[in-house]
Amino acid sequence: MLEQIIHSVNLLKPETTLAITFCVLLVVDLIVKKRGSETAWLALIGLAITGFFLMQEPAAGTNSIFFNMFAVDAFSIFFKFIILASTVMIVLFSLQSNELKTKRRALGEYYALLISLTLGMFLMTGASNLLMMYLSLELTSISSYILAGYTKDADDSSEASLKYVIYGAVSSGLMLYGISILYGLTGAIDIYGINKTLMMGDVNMVAVVIAGILIVAGFGYKISAAPFHFWTPDVYEGAPITITALLSVASKAAGFAMMIRFFKVSFLDPTVGNLSFGSWALFRGFEWNQILAMISVLTMTLGNLVAIWQDNLKRLLAYSSIAHAGYMLLGVVVLSNEGVAAVLIYFVVYFFMNLGAFYTVMLVANKTGSEDIKEYKGLGYRSPLVSVALTVFLLSLTGVPPTAGFVGKLYIFAALINAKWFWLAIAGALNSVVSLYYYVRVLRNMFLRPADPSAQPISFSVPQIVILLILVIPTILLGLYFGPLVEYAQASISMFGVH
Amino acid sequence: MSGIPLNYFVFLSAILFTIGVVGVLTRRNAIIVFMCIELMLNSVNLSLVAFSAFHGNTRGQILVFFVMAVAAAEAAVGLAIIIALFRNKQTVNIDEINIMKW
Amino acid sequence: MNLYDIVFYFFAFVTLASAGVVVFSRNIIYSAFALLFTFFGVAGIYVLLNADFIAVSQILIYVGGILVLMLFGVMLTNKVIDVEMKTGTLQTLPASVLVALIAGALCGIFYVTDWKIVRGVSAPATTTNSLGEMFMTTYSLPFEVASIVLLVALLGAAMIARKDRLPQIKNQK
Repeated sequence: MLEQIIHSVNLLKPETTLAITFCVLLVVDLIVKKRGSETAWLALIGLAITGFFLMQEPAAGTNSIFFNMFAVDAFSIFFKFIILASTVMIVLFSLQSNELKTKRRALGEYYALLISLTLGMFLMTGASNLLMMYLSLELTSISSYILAGYTKDADDSSEASLKYVIYGAVSSGLMLYGISILYGLTGAIDIYGINKTLMMGDVNMVAVVIAGILIVAGFGYKISAAPFHFWTPDVYEGAPITITALLSVASKAAGFAMMIRFFKVSFLDPTVGNLSFGSWALFRGFEWNQILAMISVLTMTLGNLVAIWQDNLKRLLAYSSIAHAGYMLLGVVVLSNEGVAAVLIYFVVYFFMNLGAFYTVMLVANKTGSEDIKEYKGLGYRSPLVSVALTVFLLSLTGVPPTAGFVGKLYIFAALINAKWFWLAIAGALNSVVSLYYYVRVLRNMFLRPADPSAQPISFSVPQIVILLILVIPTILLGLYFGPLVEYAQASISMFGVH
Repeated sequence: MSGIPLNYFVFLSAILFTIGVVGVLTRRNAIIVFMCIELMLNSVNLSLVAFSAFHGNTRGQILVFFVMAVAAAEAAVGLAIIIALFRNKQTVNIDEINIMKW
Repeated sequence: MNLYDIVFYFFAFVTLASAGVVVFSRNIIYSAFALLFTFFGVAGIYVLLNADFIAVSQILIYVGGILVLMLFGVMLTNKVIDVEMKTGTLQTLPASVLVALIAGALCGIFYVTDWKIVRGVSAPATTTNSLGEMFMTTYSLPFEVASIVLLVALLGAAMIARKDRLPQIKNQK
């Protein structure tokens, strides 16, 4: 018993570091009266140590620790890297954000909550017990409710926060009911035990499907898939833009990691032979991929169509991120290792392009005080560098070659076609065409419309430009040279409990 | 354990859950919506405890304990947000809280 | 029908009736007090199911904590003296039909479901001992995570609800 716990604690170093950083930040915030950016640097140090421990995790072996509560395997480590990198970028963004500074609030709590949010997402990636899934989901959610309402003086921020908390509480209630049905059917709450009991057969599949749909409500809420996406536009618009960026990348990544693990481990039927290499079989009568296919088509169509009418760029990016969740779900639908690898590749690409897009919006809003698309008129003449960067990000989000976004979409569609899901591939391609329309609208405003005569050129500081370049260069480079990324993603799909 | 079969407990929980869901869908006052969410969580806990008793393992009860702890945390944060919003807008009706369009 | 059955039906009735009042009452104070009876009814059923620890936690956490929190929420967001505490419009009939439909469907499915119950196994007479042991061993990781969740909620609730000493910056749209 004790040896198992000690062994487990050894493998939990990154999470422990995050928990310690969280507490240290709270204490430092109490002691230090001067409101500088010390807490931000402390948070960065904590994240750096976390990264150091993360690199030391044995990626090759798969481990299940704390009595099958938590899995440490290549799959979870891959997602942890994406989440960690996003948090580091967000801390750097926050240092530049005027929106946070003008509130003159103590930022120590803000950074502490960013760390607890990261901890929650780390736990989500490896959670292999329904209890751990629920708890880590709630840790993530509660931290993000508070952060979304951080600039509470602004009306739309606390309103966004209220919508977020209500939708979040309802969907976690639905998910819990699904969990309770699953527990009733199997008597187990760890996903390996559930799989074992379901394997014995003789289970009412209707009840399993109801439980599954209810649990998908919880996941769908986190990854903002339709019809659980209603909170997304409001929260993304109302929250501080740094938090919006983090929610759109990291929290989505954590949700996908948890969902893929849950489906792949709990409902996999290892006895079905006669399969092409790398694909999985689910229990008979359990057509999960059909339900997920519907959800993904609905999600991307809705996201793309509604985005066309948006005038606020933050809101437009919110709908675009809903659409991207739809594309990524396509990779899950095919139920093969190829599909999961495609999702992993897509997330790396999405990390650069989406964070980049939000960062440029933040830089422009810092100077103009607005995220309205009208404010982008003639930006190409006022600030060429930022406009070109935003162009790269938006083209990449559309999936135009030779940007990184093209590579992400390419692998998803390749996986679909290999699995003979032609209609889904066509739906995805049509959606990409629709998305081109609203992205190009922003570009047209920037380059083809004249600026107001009174508008001055906008200049940015050196650190701001360095951060921008950190995001732009990989967005282009990954579109041209993606071999190592693909190999790394394909090596990272191994999961504990799946053979 | 007496003659009440497991299904009666499960039905009770299902009805309670439905009442909660319908309340969430129809009521417009944010605090009442929170009460309805508590109803949903109570029904979940009820079915977990019932399954736990009939399966003869305590895993369900462990889950219930954590659900209670998290529900308390969530309610605290939710009500704090409602109070902050009330200061700004003087209303807790979800319909009136709609400066942002869909 | 023995005493056990009568007690079960009594608590089930209290739970459902008061839950109905929570949802359908137009007065928010009535809703809050009806919730009290729902929580007590559910706690009674926990006792029937031999879940003593959970029953006590239910009273302590839900009645002692969450319900009091709700009442404070009601007090702080209603000007008790000059605003009548009526809340929102509500179509009772369609809502009841909806309840009947969904609950009927769920119960129908559960009726034909074969829960994998072990015949003849009865829950232990007291669960506190084994629950405490499990928190410290098998479930030690969730236990620690729950402590962080509570810390975050404490911090966040205090941060959001407190009044800033600085003048409020109005950001009207």
